Amino acid sequence: MTNENIVELKNITVTFDGEKILDRINLAIKDKEFVTLLGPSGCGKTTTLRVIAGFVSPTEGDILFDGKAVNHLPPHKRQVNTIFQRYALFPHLNVFENIAFGLRVKKVPEAEIKKQVTDMLKLVNLSGYEKRNIAKLSGGQQQRVAIARAIINRPKVLLLDEPLAALDLKLRKDMQVELKNIQKSLGITFIFVTHDQEEALSMSDTVVVMNEGVIQQIGTPQDIYNEPKNAFVADFIGESNILDGVMKEDFLTSFSGREFTCLDSGFARNERVDIVVRPEDVDIVPEKDAMLLGEVTSVTFLGVHYEIIVDIGGFKWMIQTTDEQKVGDKVGLYIEPDAIHVMKKSKYSGMYGDYSTFSDEIEHLSDLEEDEN
Amino acid sequence: MKHISRIYTALVMVFLYAPIAVMVVYSFNASRSTSVFGGFSLKWYAELLNDSSTIEALENTLVLAVLSSLVATVLGTLSAVGIFSMKKKWAKTAAMTVTNIPMMNPDIVTGISLMLLFVFVGQMVGSKNSLGFGTMLIAHITFNLPYVILSVLPKLRQTDHHLAEAAQDLGCTPFMAFFKVILPSIMPGVFSGLMMAFTLSLDDFVISYFTTGPDFQTLPIKIFSMTKRRVTPDMYALSTLIFLSVLLLLILSNVAQARSEKRREGAKA
Repeated sequence: MTNENIVELKNITVTFDGEKILDRINLAIKDKEFVTLLGPSGCGKTTTLRVIAGFVSPTEGDILFDGKAVNHLPPHKRQVNTIFQRYALFPHLNVFENIAFGLRVKKVPEAEIKKQVTDMLKLVNLSGYEKRNIAKLSGGQQQRVAIARAIINRPKVLLLDEPLAALDLKLRKDMQVELKNIQKSLGITFIFVTHDQEEALSMSDTVVVMNEGVIQQIGTPQDIYNEPKNAFVADFIGESNILDGVMKEDFLTSFSGREFTCLDSGFARNERVDIVVRPEDVDIVPEKDAMLLGEVTSVTFLGVHYEIIVDIGGFKWMIQTTDEQKVGDKVGLYIEPDAIHVMKKSKYSGMYGDYSTFSDEIEHLSDLEEDEN
Repeated sequence: MKHISRIYTALVMVFLYAPIAVMVVYSFNASRSTSVFGGFSLKWYAELLNDSSTIEALENTLVLAVLSSLVATVLGTLSAVGIFSMKKKWAKTAAMTVTNIPMMNPDIVTGISLMLLFVFVGQMVGSKNSLGFGTMLIAHITFNLPYVILSVLPKLRQTDHHLAEAAQDLGCTPFMAFFKVILPSIMPGVFSGLMMAFTLSLDDFVISYFTTGPDFQTLPIKIFSMTKRRVTPDMYALSTLIFLSVLLLLILSNVAQARSEKRREGAKA
């Protein structure tokens, strides 16, 4: 087999003061691929990026570029460039000199520098800003300078550390499209770090979901969303109702006190499992056609649809529907076989996917707690 | 109320600057008297310029101030970078304490202890007369060092720590990254450290007095030795000149600071 992996991480472990930041990370990244490392803060995604850039040396394991170990290669000798979270533009240099920095270090002839920087400014829509002071630029413009400064060096791999986190929503959407276009037109491998699951799903070829220094799942955005490996992934990517269930036999499962046909197989008979049902996959039907009956306990109007919480035997489901419901209404639920996803039990079982304490405020509080831990 | 505060301010100004004004006026006095102004004259300035020992002392002072402040700035900047990048907290605290002690220490203690050390080491290497320009230079660098460190450290803290990484990422060795990126962004701190070291060295008397030998005199020492006999008006002239140079230096550094602030503010707008 020809080795088409441009970057490979083999059993990378990073320990700081006895604390494991990364735990046996294995990751193979193909040439020209757009890979996103996704996870909550403190999950090790930025450390992974810094290992690839050379700013952190792994306690154990190997980093391979084009099949060759580069563990002891210092950052300035690696064929990668980084876009830092707060851009890290050089404040004492103007736009032109910031972008020219890498070429000047390489002692490229002056005429060549001028030509390349001019081309690069055109690419990122900043022509005419050559002499501008860095601090006089808006956040979006600084972002473009950071991109130009990195890709003018024609790296094989571009590392992006939450590059859009500092931009407002509208600008972020535009930059997502722009980054994707740059990646396609230049054919550079992108390794992108974010905690924003929507960003990860919309931009990537491959998503790597991380938590607590461990890779939870690697897959296409569709795989990650439709076939989450465990309760953590299911909860982190989108909204999920995650229930305790039993796999009766192939294609037959039981949860919430009744049996359902599903499309999953390959589990042991009567194996205890986690069941994921996405809020948009639950249909509200008249009681006579219903598989489950419940009572509406909360309704939130979100524009495109309503988000309602339905109590079914003490477990609170989140359901997205376009029909208006009222608190206290009795509703019937119908779930198609392909809406049910069965997962093996993991250490995250029972931690996520119940909306009984659901409110934005509480979710925010629990996020803060996670950050501190 | 407004009047009272104005009068108060005026009084403060008078107490601060009246002595200097009197000195400047008397440096132009035609007579030798300290109580009677006998008309305008530049003769004390002429006398000062003809006094070769005073001019030599002035030269010594300037050479010493320039050399010691430059060396202290280089060493101090390097130390600040070193202290800043210390990972262990206790080591950092220890380094800062070591830095602060010489500043808090009374000059006389520093002076005597340095003298003792120089004489001791001098005797060990068999030199009879170890005190002189060399020992004084070492002494001045020593007491200038903490001031440079303390003016560079805050600038390092303000500098985005990703800047050096960004430079390395773009192909710089760590050494190049320091000169191309870190040094420019801490330059204001380095410069103000240099200015402070220069002025401190210029007017130091106590430590200089203990660490110099008979062959090397700086202005403060020379003036002090002259006042033992009698104060002549050419000393007023000399002091006036020193005051004016310090004033000029102050104005220059203020203008430079105002300019850089203006640039930064313009950048924000």
